[in-house]
Amino acid sequence: MHHLSLYLHFVKLRIRSQMEYRLSFIVELFAQASISVIDFFMIALLFNRFKQLAGWSLWEVGFLYGMIGICFAVAEMIGRGFDAFEKNIVRGDFDTILIRPLGTFYQVFANEFLLRRLGRIAQALVVLLIANSQLSVQWSLTKVGYLLISLMSGTCFFIGLFVIAATSCFWTVQSIEVINIFTHGGVFMGSYPFSIYRWWFRHFFTFIVPLACVNYFPALFLLGKIESLGVSPIGVQLAPFAGFLFLGITMLFWRWGVLHYQSTGH
Amino acid sequence: MKSLYLTFHVYLAFARKSFQKQMQYRVANLAGLTTNFFFLLVQVFVYIAFYKASTEPQPLSIDDIITYFVLCQASLMLMPLWGGREIADTIKNGSVALQLTKPVDFQTYWFVDECGRAYYYLFMRGLPTFLISNLFFTVTIPQQPSVLLAFAVSMTLAIFMSAAITITIFSTAFWTLDTTGISGIAASVITFFSGMLVPIALWPEWLAHIAGWLPFGGLIDIPFSIYLGKLAGIEIWVAIGKQTAWCLFFMGFGRVLLSRGFSRLVIQGG
Repeated sequence: MHHLSLYLHFVKLRIRSQMEYRLSFIVELFAQASISVIDFFMIALLFNRFKQLAGWSLWEVGFLYGMIGICFAVAEMIGRGFDAFEKNIVRGDFDTILIRPLGTFYQVFANEFLLRRLGRIAQALVVLLIANSQLSVQWSLTKVGYLLISLMSGTCFFIGLFVIAATSCFWTVQSIEVINIFTHGGVFMGSYPFSIYRWWFRHFFTFIVPLACVNYFPALFLLGKIESLGVSPIGVQLAPFAGFLFLGITMLFWRWGVLHYQSTGH
Repeated sequence: MKSLYLTFHVYLAFARKSFQKQMQYRVANLAGLTTNFFFLLVQVFVYIAFYKASTEPQPLSIDDIITYFVLCQASLMLMPLWGGREIADTIKNGSVALQLTKPVDFQTYWFVDECGRAYYYLFMRGLPTFLISNLFFTVTIPQQPSVLLAFAVSMTLAIFMSAAITITIFSTAFWTLDTTGISGIAASVITFFSGMLVPIALWPEWLAHIAGWLPFGGLIDIPFSIYLGKLAGIEIWVAIGKQTAWCLFFMGFGRVLLSRGFSRLVIQGG
């Protein structure tokens, strides 16, 4: 409980400091939203010409797009501490974190909060809501719960990726840029149905990096597309938990990485 | 004549310096190459699936599309606003004052700096992306030397235009100090209307018409349409003329903006 109230206090401080630059905050919010509006418009353009993609309509793809967009933007907002962790190592600031009477994972997590990702979250949410209004999904309490769990799981999945990148800094000092393939690339990939990818690609992004588990399979279940594709229904219902599991594993990796920390600064 | 030669020599040295500066980030470049290739792969999967679903004839064949996106990923780093943040930084931290005391034209300096960077990425990122892609996909290579020549000219103009746009956008730092927002909005407009995300040939007519009146097609759409042989004869000349005109426009506009900026410049600190 103490951890939570402390976290909320940190968030309040971050928000206050970011609001100091109000104009630049608003412009960036607008920039974020405009970038992502164009992003979805591009998909709409393709559907305008080709009508459908592997049996998916524009708004079914919009549903996928909205889900993955929300997860990534929320992860960027709250997981910024790991996303921008590199500077702690470069400047040697991690020393300070080590001497404080709180867990390192918690401190790095609570260290940053990027409010301006709200623009991106809003855009993805709007796409998801419009998509939903165009589709006839039979919403029940179970389905709403399942959607919320999937969104949380997807967020955990992306935070897990940030944690991997951050942990690698203990060895490489600078963050490994290849992680962009999984973060930004993951959002790009996840905006389209997985069935269009080659089998090795699909399997990699299901069992090793569980992107499909937090986005594609949940969408299949929610949009009632399971029967037509012959995917195991139990597997689909359990799939979202892969995101939590993934974050858990990366936390262990983090713990192991901290042991290898060698200070650079001071 | 001799002074002209000397001037040229100086700016060439700046361009070379900029090229060498990029050489320091070899690992980052390798990571970038991997990322480029990954996005390319996904793009190709997506388009193959779209083409499979449609039986109607399309203005570009799937081989054209693959080649187009190989070229897009290969020239990604030549697009405006990837570099140039330094311009805004010098204005923000005041080191621009020092730069203005030197007998070097501010705009030309940054122009050659941007070009040096672009040529680095052309050889160190573009060429490898193109060559690796050839191993995985069928990439068309134009057979006529005249097409290749026109493409080379058009691509050079695209690089020049990109540099001119970058300088223009970042020189707004004289007014705003923080350019993140403006450059973000500009980047999204430029990426979209250049045809980098979806080839303009596949756009609905009304939108393609708007793109035709905007300069940004000169960055991607024109050079790659020439490469794919979609433009022929006089059309090539018109397209290259359009690129040149927009290039000059951005140089001129940037110059006006800069001179206005210098006149209101206040250096913070001492």
